Amino acid sequence: MSDDALDPVIHAQARLRVVATLAALGRGDRIAFPRLQRLLDMTAGNLSTHLRRLEEAEYVSITKTYEGRTPVTYVELTGAGRLAFERYTEQLRALLGGVS
Amino acid sequence: MSSDEDAVSTGRDGLDPREALGIIDQQRRRAATTEPSSALITGAWGAAWLVGYGALWASARDDGTPGVAAAALAIGLGVVAVAATVWHTAHRSRGIRGVSAVEGALYGFAWPVGFTAQGLIVGGIAGAGASPEVVAVAANSIAALVVALLYVAGGALWHERLLYGLGVWIALVAGAAAFAGVPCTYLVMGLAGGGVALVASLVVGLRARRAAAAGAPA
Repeated sequence: MSDDALDPVIHAQARLRVVATLAALGRGDRIAFPRLQRLLDMTAGNLSTHLRRLEEAEYVSITKTYEGRTPVTYVELTGAGRLAFERYTEQLRALLGGVS
Repeated sequence: MSSDEDAVSTGRDGLDPREALGIIDQQRRRAATTEPSSALITGAWGAAWLVGYGALWASARDDGTPGVAAAALAIGLGVVAVAATVWHTAHRSRGIRGVSAVEGALYGFAWPVGFTAQGLIVGGIAGAGASPEVVAVAANSIAALVVALLYVAGGALWHERLLYGLGVWIALVAGAAAFAGVPCTYLVMGLAGGGVALVASLVVGLRARRAAAAGAPA
């Protein structure tokens, strides 16, 4: 696996930060867009752009819903996204010669 | 770091593996702020027990019955600790839905259930003709047992060794306190229960802070 190129969807600073944050949440957890934005210190526009790219790769799923009358957007790492992130971190470790 | 994001989104890709692992680590620590701190919660409870039970013991030393002021202080501290726990947990987990929110809600619901059962049992014991001393010992130990087992359950659920270990310890203290008699039972609960919880939470909290400082990129 370590010979393969690093996943270009994840291997970009901003998206890596998004994926790493989502992966740190519990499996099956989703996070509201504004809370995710605060954890990342990103602008809404910037975060939306990167989320769209991740959604196209089917690494995140985005749910739009209502809580009372307020529209809320939730973001969740998909199974494929978690798998891709795990493979990516393994590749990084392998590149660094097994240094954890 | 937000200035780099634009560079990345325009196609620059100069991330080296060490830097990437650093980013992952940093965001993992950031995301940890969506979980309640068990060190903070057990610290608050430890302090409440230490002071509350300490006051009960001090006021019950002469005639074996806690004074009204001490009882009010102990109950008030308990209410403050509950409110602080609920607020802290809600604040940390706002905006998070899904599996852990459901787990947290189910777990949280077990607390009022446990204390309602404790109240009913104590009421039943009193109704069956137990002396005030028996009622005091039972009320004390059963409440501590409820806390102990819920700590154990929380520790098992979230893999929090501090919570689990403290639960085991408080269960044993609850058993020992039942033999201490009034008013010594309050002293045992305050020092061995609250005091130990406070010290353990400080040690774990400081260790976590040191680990975070050591893990931060130089």
